[in-house]
Amino acid sequence: MNDTLLSVSIALVFGIATFMILRRDLIRVAIGVTLLSHATNMLIVSTGAFLGDRAPIITGEEAVSTGGIFIDDLAAGILAPVIPEGTEMAYVDPLVQALTLTAIVISLATTAFLLILCYRLYQEQGTTDVSEIRRLKG
Amino acid sequence: MDLFTAITLAVFLPFIMAAILPTAEKILKNRVGWYAAAVAFICLLLVAQALPAVVNGETVMGSLPWIPSLGVELSFYGDGLSVMFGLIVSGVGILIMSYSNEYMSKREDLSRYYRYLLMFMGSMLGMVFSSNAIQLFVFWELTSITSFMLIGYWRNRPMSVYGATKSLLVTAGGGIFMLAGFLLLGIITGTFDIATILQNTSMIALIKGHELFLPALVLIIIGAAAKSAQGPFYIWLPNAMEAPTPVSAFLHSATMVKAGIYLVARIHPIFSGTEAWFVLVSGLGIITMLAAGFLAFRQTDIKGILAYSTISQLAYMMAMYGYTSYQYPGIGVAAATFHLFNHATFKACLFLVAGIVAHETATRDITKMGGLRKDMPITFIIGTIAALSMAGVPPLNGFLSKEMFYESSLEMGHILGGPLEYLIPAAAVLGGAFTFAYSIRFIDGIFLGRRRSEHLPKHMHEPTPVMLAPPALLAILVILIGIFPSATVHYIIEPAASGILLEDVHLHVSLWHGFTAALLMTIITFIAGAALYAKYGAIAAWQDRVNARHPAWSFNSLYDRFVDGASGTSTAFAKVMQPGPLRPYLVAMLMIFLLLSAVPAVMVAGTLIPAELNFDVPAYEAVLLGLIVLASLGTAVLKKYLHAIIAVSAVGYLVSLVFIYLQAPDLAITQILVETLATIIFLLVIIKVPQTFRERITRSVLARDLLISSAVSVTVLILLLNASQGIVSPFESLSYYFIENSVPLAGGYNMVNVILVDFRGYDTLGEIVVLCLAGLGVYNLLKSRSDSK
Repeated sequence: MNDTLLSVSIALVFGIATFMILRRDLIRVAIGVTLLSHATNMLIVSTGAFLGDRAPIITGEEAVSTGGIFIDDLAAGILAPVIPEGTEMAYVDPLVQALTLTAIVISLATTAFLLILCYRLYQEQGTTDVSEIRRLKG
Repeated sequence: MDLFTAITLAVFLPFIMAAILPTAEKILKNRVGWYAAAVAFICLLLVAQALPAVVNGETVMGSLPWIPSLGVELSFYGDGLSVMFGLIVSGVGILIMSYSNEYMSKREDLSRYYRYLLMFMGSMLGMVFSSNAIQLFVFWELTSITSFMLIGYWRNRPMSVYGATKSLLVTAGGGIFMLAGFLLLGIITGTFDIATILQNTSMIALIKGHELFLPALVLIIIGAAAKSAQGPFYIWLPNAMEAPTPVSAFLHSATMVKAGIYLVARIHPIFSGTEAWFVLVSGLGIITMLAAGFLAFRQTDIKGILAYSTISQLAYMMAMYGYTSYQYPGIGVAAATFHLFNHATFKACLFLVAGIVAHETATRDITKMGGLRKDMPITFIIGTIAALSMAGVPPLNGFLSKEMFYESSLEMGHILGGPLEYLIPAAAVLGGAFTFAYSIRFIDGIFLGRRRSEHLPKHMHEPTPVMLAPPALLAILVILIGIFPSATVHYIIEPAASGILLEDVHLHVSLWHGFTAALLMTIITFIAGAALYAKYGAIAAWQDRVNARHPAWSFNSLYDRFVDGASGTSTAFAKVMQPGPLRPYLVAMLMIFLLLSAVPAVMVAGTLIPAELNFDVPAYEAVLLGLIVLASLGTAVLKKYLHAIIAVSAVGYLVSLVFIYLQAPDLAITQILVETLATIIFLLVIIKVPQTFRERITRSVLARDLLISSAVSVTVLILLLNASQGIVSPFESLSYYFIENSVPLAGGYNMVNVILVDFRGYDTLGEIVVLCLAGLGVYNLLKSRSDSK
């Protein structure tokens, strides 16, 4: 029913990202945050592609509400949410893809901000060690 | 103009005028007080329009929609009681704002001062004309907030700040109890409209028989007592004397402190006539009257004496409003209303006199004064009239209402019978004697005798007419009402009492009404009061000794311990919750994530790992996923930044391949672009930040972090595996809508693009804003190099 291997991989990336976020070095924390957003994006998109146990519907008719639009049979292939001219099929969930696209761009913004913070910290304090910076603050 | 419009305008005009006051100040400069006084005058005219109607027994009602979807309206109700309060508020307001013109130094922040005064006046008018209980609560708290602002007007004096905070905590805190009481009333009757309840006898009967009657009554009385400084809540009023004196005269003697009395009068028909009402309201009133009158002895601050006397006088009114059995309302209500009006005249006058005295002598300590009658004869006459009225000396108005207080006490004692028949009148006389003693002290200490201190200024003189006229007007009123009470009684007191009792009240008041028991009580009062005054110094010294020996024996120390304790506890709590280092926060967040997501998922799915697992995937997918895991591991294992960054960007590019596999071409393209940019930024930063240290990961830290990471990993796995078991889709997905309407509504064949730019276009706008802000943040961070480097 489900793509177990994909799920396991996503879970492993989550675990590694968590480990990285717990480090004292801020650059490594930034790497961890990036990994975490990769894992989250994959998770959301995959739930869109594999949700439910409904039958795959590939009819010759219109792509209207057929009750189930998600394909979970990998052998039959998954369809991208693009409507080709003249064909009517069932699609993977377009909504999660739209959400994820926004998330990718925003995670770039946050990563960039975090990295520049690391850089400025290093300029001012000469280190990117969280504990060291805290000690400096007194 | 119809009456409803007039009243609505009177409520909102002060707020509007307060908003444009800074502009007026630019034109009028330091004469802006006259502008504020003019606003008060207009309000007085607006409220006075309703007077003929309420004298005829009519009421003014109406409402404006406010939050129609919740059934909340802005509704106003004007009866005799509301109109009397409206007249007191706006009338005293005129005098206070005129007086302030001279009292407040030109260097003060006049705009702020008058703005708050006007806002207070509007809030007070709004409160007394409110028909809806929730609306009443809003205006009630507004008066507390404006009072807080005015007590704390001198922001850099610690005592002002202390007094302001205390008053806000006590009065606004009491307001919360009152709101809870209103909510109970709403539960019982199904309406929050007080006017509706008052006009509906079956509703009142329902409330009296309801099991929530007592809780509702107690909660509302707590609110009223906190506002009117009754019982243990009295502590805020003496500290509120840190406010400028005109503010004390306006808020803390004539109007705001009477809000609690107003509330008691307003709910009188709903709750009175029950034993609980008498015990709570009269009991609280009599105890407060005696305690506050007694405590006034110790005060050396002239405003402090007036503060305690205000508490004690408000307690008279409380006691009288409580003196009613349902079958026989008696004269308690009318007497209380009359005393309320009289108190507003003589107490505001006394405060204004105290303001003049403090202004001229530059001190408020009564032990340093004396003999001022020679320097300020007119002030002396005005102050004496007002103080004698407070003491209950004929032919002044205070005498009339105090006689009625005695009469109603006798009557109530007679109805109750038993020992109370004598105890209640005796308590009343004792309270009166205390009042007589401190009133005489006010006159004697300030004006009579000779100067007691060399520190007083050599040349003290009468103030200008601007400061003299307001108290003089009030003193004239005190005499006029005393000698010719019938006009005031007919036009103001009778309508107000009728509004409270919901029936026509006829009151006959005259200066001489024969030799009655009440007159006898008055004579006893004068003798006892004079005797108390003879022992004044001894009593005050005894109080000082007790206080010094047992400093913890007061509600003030209870308040201080409570407030300090609350602040200490919250500091300690914050230290535990916000220790500082990043890691405890992260661990806490992750733990909460685990609890909130894994536990419900397992509970709904009923199993940790579903029976059917699917490893049947194409070989290229297995290879792809294997590479992702490997590259992720690399970021953790590789020592050098550069290597770790290459590993993380490898993950990024591999993820874009996964997106292609998952049929998400748009995501794949975006991911490739974003990953390229992110890698460039990473590389740019590590050029500037060489590897500065290598964290030594000890065994225990490694074990802890591995434990947390594995827990997160396992949780995500459980969530994902159970996602197909129907735990995430209890409702129909929104996606159908987008799939069906993408072409017909938006004319686009790529649904993801259509959602982004069309259906959810505002979300994308938000995303762009986030990008812009991050860009601005980065730019400014780079620009903001400190000068030290």
